Amino acid sequence: MPLPDLGALALVALVALLVAGALSPIETLGWWAGWYGDTIDELQADPDRAAPGEAEGDDAPPRRRVDPWVVFLTGIHAVDHVTFDRAEARLVARLRRALPAGRVVEVFPYSVTNRALTGERVFARVWRWALRGKLSGRRLGTAAGFLINLRNVWQVLVSADRRYGPFYNQGTAELVLRSLRRRGFVGGGRLVLIGYSGGAQIALGAAPFLAERTGARVEVVSLGGVMCADPGLLAAAVTWHLSGSRDRLQAWAGWAFPGRWPLLRWSPWNLARERGTLRAVTIGPCDHTGRDGYLDERAHVADGRSYFDVTADVLAAAARGETHLPVAAT
Amino acid sequence: MGAAVDLVLGALALDPEAFRSLLASHAPRHRFGFAVVVLAGMSLALGQSVALFAERVSPRRFLATLVVQALLFGGSFLAWAVSAWAVARLAFGAARPLGDVVAAVGLAHAPQLFGAFVLTPYLGTPLQTVLSVWTLLAVLIATAVTFGLAIGQAVLAAAGGWLLSLLLQRTIGAPIVRAGRRLRAWVAGTGRRPSRSGPR
Repeated sequence: MPLPDLGALALVALVALLVAGALSPIETLGWWAGWYGDTIDELQADPDRAAPGEAEGDDAPPRRRVDPWVVFLTGIHAVDHVTFDRAEARLVARLRRALPAGRVVEVFPYSVTNRALTGERVFARVWRWALRGKLSGRRLGTAAGFLINLRNVWQVLVSADRRYGPFYNQGTAELVLRSLRRRGFVGGGRLVLIGYSGGAQIALGAAPFLAERTGARVEVVSLGGVMCADPGLLAAAVTWHLSGSRDRLQAWAGWAFPGRWPLLRWSPWNLARERGTLRAVTIGPCDHTGRDGYLDERAHVADGRSYFDVTADVLAAAARGETHLPVAAT
Repeated sequence: MGAAVDLVLGALALDPEAFRSLLASHAPRHRFGFAVVVLAGMSLALGQSVALFAERVSPRRFLATLVVQALLFGGSFLAWAVSAWAVARLAFGAARPLGDVVAAVGLAHAPQLFGAFVLTPYLGTPLQTVLSVWTLLAVLIATAVTFGLAIGQAVLAAAGGWLLSLLLQRTIGAPIVRAGRRLRAWVAGTGRRPSRSGPR
């Protein structure tokens, strides 16, 4: 059988990508229209199961005052609200230890219906196959795993889109709120949304709804955030945009979203910078992911800390509400 | 089928020959042109369906509304085609059967067959602009080919037709426009249900 030529394969891939993009808002819009039933609870039997290692792991309300409430919104590699990435799981565990008075909750930010990609979905088999590939570490498997990233990138763009963002972001805010309430959150206080990569966009999108619904002081911490000039920037009391000097992906996002261009002075991004509520900080010489990435435990900065340590220290300090973050020299 | 695809590809490539071939064919060409318009209207309606979702229409009503919107799109196209035909005849003395205008200018709506991609998040809005400009260029070429006009004259005929159809829609055609809107609202089932703040 003759092999198809590369041009044809590239064309098929491009068309598949465009079709996936065009279909990507349907889950959100269908949820809004009530096509999947009226409540999120109907959609998944156990959407809020506690993550392994979560302090007070059951859903019982805390017996002490929690400060701050922290919600971790993972990057685009995620398939579920409990991260499968070991380094990321260690980061969340480290944050829990660093914030003994706080509570850290994980939410899957790439589905307003809170359905894991590998859960009850039409294409669940495809996502399970892609996840197996991602975890296998083999080159072909990693390429299959990239499908998950592509799927979630489209959801980030749904959140950033002015047409769909209001629906998607309200849905995410509802999910966050439900997760928090099940753990005893009653509103008020400080609510810190930590978003890694595309998770930062989702955090920003949800911020206005959470601020309005909870009366809490909502703060957003973006770790290598790939985000647009979301109106959430004006609702968040503070937004930390933390990045590594080698993180080209987050830098690229600055070009891809016109609202972040310095020229557009009236955009939420530039207004927030002008007000001082958006603070961009370079935390060290980190890359976006992988080797030399934010969560690399083998690469070290001059003061002896690993990149992972720097990231965890800075995130914990930002979550505690400190204004001087323990960044590393670049 | 192959010939139809070739014609559509030619129109997408803004090739005047595609419009000439259609006008020279013996097939019921006005039906073909109108079919392209209705399919383009359906695709565009899907691409712009966020309003339907926002109105919480059921899946069945959603599909029915897309069909109605496609037909309304076809109706407004016909109004424009008649107007352009009249303007070309009166202003430039260019006589051509109305069916030919429907055929060629209908085919010129081929770029809007991609209208469903307007759904694409973030990229969809600029894509809609690209499709509009692309369609406009195709319409101008189709108008020029159909009436044998220079491109400047085609611009005047198309723009004059658009203005005339706008005038008609706001005067003697106003009841039809209102009926179209009512039909769309009736099929979608909107405007009579209590509003809700969102799924919980």
